[in-house]
Amino acid sequence: MRVGLLPNEGGGTYRFTMLFLATIGILISSLPVIVVTIMSFSASDNTGFPPTEFSLRWYADVIALFVNEDTSSAQSVVDSTLTSILVAVIVMVISTLVCIPLAYALVRGQRKIREGMELLFTLPLVFPLVILGIAFLLIAESLRVEIGIWRIVIPHLALVLPFVLRNCIGAMNGISIELEEAAISLGASPLRAIWDVVIPLMRAGILAGLIFALIISFNEFTITFFMYTIDVSTLPIWMYSRTVSSLDPSTLALSVFIIVADIVLIMLVDKLIAGRANLF
Amino acid sequence: MSIALSRNRMLAFSLPALIAILPFLGACFYIFRFSISGDKASIDGYSIKAYLDLMTPFFGRSVWVTIKLAFIATIAAMLMAVPLAFLLTSLKSPLARRILTVTILLPLILNLLVQAYGWILLLGPSGVLNSALRGMGIIERPIFLLFNETGVLLGLIQTSLPLAVFPIVSSVRGLSQEHLEAASSLGASQWRIFFDVTVPLLRPGIVGAASIVFAFNASAFAIPLLLGGRRVQMLGVAIRDMISPMFNWSGAAAAGMILISLTLLILVFSSWLVRVTSERTRG
Repeated sequence: MRVGLLPNEGGGTYRFTMLFLATIGILISSLPVIVVTIMSFSASDNTGFPPTEFSLRWYADVIALFVNEDTSSAQSVVDSTLTSILVAVIVMVISTLVCIPLAYALVRGQRKIREGMELLFTLPLVFPLVILGIAFLLIAESLRVEIGIWRIVIPHLALVLPFVLRNCIGAMNGISIELEEAAISLGASPLRAIWDVVIPLMRAGILAGLIFALIISFNEFTITFFMYTIDVSTLPIWMYSRTVSSLDPSTLALSVFIIVADIVLIMLVDKLIAGRANLF
Repeated sequence: MSIALSRNRMLAFSLPALIAILPFLGACFYIFRFSISGDKASIDGYSIKAYLDLMTPFFGRSVWVTIKLAFIATIAAMLMAVPLAFLLTSLKSPLARRILTVTILLPLILNLLVQAYGWILLLGPSGVLNSALRGMGIIERPIFLLFNETGVLLGLIQTSLPLAVFPIVSSVRGLSQEHLEAASSLGASQWRIFFDVTVPLLRPGIVGAASIVFAFNASAFAIPLLLGGRRVQMLGVAIRDMISPMFNWSGAAAAGMILISLTLLILVFSSWLVRVTSERTRG
């Protein structure tokens, strides 16, 4: 007999309470996103609910925004989006490249070092982002060197390292040392064994880490809020500057594009790690 | 033949990642150094004046609001996270599991602005909730849920919920079936099993998750900024205000150090709590 934590029948108040709390949790998680999606199809200019008519006019507006270069604002949405994507891709590539060898060294190395390093690389996760934003801003200002896009890449890198490293370690954990030894006994050099045997086996975890880095960097707001300049700004900052005074429905349509992209990418990560590892 | 890692190779493999995290460590040190600077606008000399200047009722209120909201949000998130973790681990269909995973995880990852828009549309004076309540004739004038503590609280719960759910999911996966079966075959009710067997077994996971959720909520910035307006001065927003209109860099750094100490204290305390309680359970 399997005793479920959530019994299918009976259970009375226990089952009711558990399902009730879980439902509230699901509602709190999903309602904001659902409302944004519904309102983006509204035909009216204001954001009163429920929308009286539906249309795609705000989507047409967003597309027009991207196609017709807007010269009135200091920073165009096209530039911000391109910067966001460029930053996210650089962050994704660098973070993965540095985490693969580290994950290998930690899993094959001594236990004590591994624990310390894992702690060190978890720090950015619990460190207050405002303070990090201010600190990076102070450092960037005191450098007096124009570092362009790197003023956003470097802080983002620190933010995504915990997620990428966890995925790489999760992938590395499942690879037994015998496979490498077999490759070496067949004449491969140790580095060759890593390149030809270990890395291909780590592929799913590496891919999951890559995507995680991409979505976190692309969606990051707080640190970028301190670091952006007129020349280097990202999409979330553009959205913020546009909606400081009032909420514009075309921003909701743009939000829906971001929501869809995020959902697709998270689904992909979930499929790649398929219950074998923890998300974080 | 062994392929034990030599010290040099281990170092060479770790070096790139250490270089990548170096700016972060530099930033941590920089904030500390700035907080004990003798000058407000630059690092010059040593002084604890920045800390002493923070001893005002205004800053005290900010600390209190931060602790209060983070604490309530953490309790609320944990109350929902445990049932959600049970639900997630008992779903049979992979598709349903994937949809639930994405639903819970999305708020942590999605652009915080988009979520703030969602809450503004839901809670605003002409938003979903007010329209619905007015339509049903329950209220006559709109109730204000936005730009006060209620709005911030809901936003905090939503964004921190995934940090609570997923660690508990991994503890639930490690739960031994035998314990539950034994309790059940002895005739214990579901509530009895929950409080006497499940919760004690999950305690390390729950305490660990709660401490991370608290640290995350206490250092929240975007949610109180966008949903609280000027009215809800959580520490994150208060620190921003010190540098943006006032240019009090050393004061902001000192307030930042206080915020970091607060979150670290909670993390250390919770790991101590886990160690003490697990020793008692074993003994």
